[in-house]
Amino acid sequence: MNPEILVFSCNWDGWSCIESAVSSGLSYPPSVKIVRVGCLSRIHAGLILKALDLGAGGVMLLGCEQGRCHFGSNSDCVTPEYEKAQDILELLGMDKSRLTLLRLPAFEGHKFVTKVAKLIKEVKQLSTSGSPKEVGGESVSLQ
Amino acid sequence: MKEVNKQFFDLQSVVNETKIRLCLDCGKCTVVCPVARYDPGFNPRLIVQDALKRNSHGPVDENIWYCIGCNMCMERCNYNVKFTDFIRFMRYNALSQGTEVKCNHSGIPHATMHMMANRDIKQHRLKWIPADIMVKEQCQTAFFVGCAPYFDVIFNDLNVKTVEGTKGTLRLLNHADIPFTLLHNERCCGRDLLLLGDTEEFLALAQANLDEFSAKGIKEIITNCPECYYTLKVGYPRFLKNWNIVVRHATELLTPLTENGQLVLGKLSRKVTYHDPCALGRYSRIFKQPRGILDSIKGLEVVEMTDNREKALCCGANPWAYCGLVNKQIQKERLAQAKATGADILVTGCPKCQIHLTCAQKNFEDGDVCRIEIQDLFHLAAQSLSPQEEN
Repeated sequence: MNPEILVFSCNWDGWSCIESAVSSGLSYPPSVKIVRVGCLSRIHAGLILKALDLGAGGVMLLGCEQGRCHFGSNSDCVTPEYEKAQDILELLGMDKSRLTLLRLPAFEGHKFVTKVAKLIKEVKQLSTSGSPKEVGGESVSLQ
Repeated sequence: MKEVNKQFFDLQSVVNETKIRLCLDCGKCTVVCPVARYDPGFNPRLIVQDALKRNSHGPVDENIWYCIGCNMCMERCNYNVKFTDFIRFMRYNALSQGTEVKCNHSGIPHATMHMMANRDIKQHRLKWIPADIMVKEQCQTAFFVGCAPYFDVIFNDLNVKTVEGTKGTLRLLNHADIPFTLLHNERCCGRDLLLLGDTEEFLALAQANLDEFSAKGIKEIITNCPECYYTLKVGYPRFLKNWNIVVRHATELLTPLTENGQLVLGKLSRKVTYHDPCALGRYSRIFKQPRGILDSIKGLEVVEMTDNREKALCCGANPWAYCGLVNKQIQKERLAQAKATGADILVTGCPKCQIHLTCAQKNFEDGDVCRIEIQDLFHLAAQSLSPQEEN
């Protein structure tokens, strides 16, 4: 079974890649869920970690190339948050490759599909460190 | 929700345990409450009355989220009504009804705690240890580092270095020849989740920690973080069966040694004031020991703020949630008190106080009132040992 991948996509070049993939008949697994946001600067480390906490196997941040942000600032805002999330994953002993920041030119549907397939493959190969605990067994009891 | 929790957290047993019916409506709690001072809508006495009247039915009283858990109310209450415990119960109830908590710092601390609680992780949390610190591989005494390595990443924009306090403590323990080991996979103590009413996740963290301690054969724990200290010492025995580990705060070990001359600290010519963290002061009644460490540093002038010891003002922050203007006002007042003493450095024993007060300094640009250097107690004490590190 494919791991769940959450893609935070910016509304502009990022989204155009996904639309282009769909309109040219390229397909990606249904386990890839896409959240469309105004700009990647909307995404902070807390949201990325929460996605992983809620069970996503990997997170992709999909946005415009450096200097092509519709609002002129996404690279300034998203990079520190991306790095912060990576540092926390490192401390937690979860593989950094669960998180990827992808900047694409507009309408690069093919590249998006290739990269998302690569992310799924990487997440599949990861060790079990960081996977949710088995639920069940004896519950914690109180005095 | 687990059955055991339901039994433990039913209204009647909480009412009995917190002695909430003994409330005489005298309002002393409200007079001393730092939140009520800046938010007239917040009134501990009325929160209790309202909750009892509604018998935990009906909509959630928004005010329950604004209590900062500083325990000032209990300090003043003539009948020892445990208001902060009652608030915790109401939060637990609110979460059970599906209330979403409004997190600060983009929810990173909560997401991190949840991942530590629910995942089978092997952390890399000890990379910061410098070569000069001696750590035993096998030892029955463990030093509980707490979340300092995480804080330094999460709050890197504030440029706080809470891990320096941990390094300082380890250097002092080395200097006093107290052996200890470090655990590679300890979890957060879970105090913030407990305060926030998220008892399920707190229990998961507590159990994971207990398993880690048992696997390593730990009999004693030393920590420098007041919140970890209080949680491990008071919280864990209350919630976990089979908990028989002795927990000590680093000052409890080090201060007697400075007094009998076994641990000699160096010299620092600075003027400092000590801020009592709530978890160490009002909760754990450790007032003398941290001051004892400061007193044993030669050349250090220690001055007290107007509100100190039992009456010390809290650093003003909730468990990484619902922090707002009121909290900032409390922090500003505390920083102004420190500044008014004429001290160069505000010394605190708690990494969280350090973070919250530094955060407040970032938010207030109004001149000098809040500008004061903030340092960790152990970092300062360890600096006196190696004067070349003194800046």
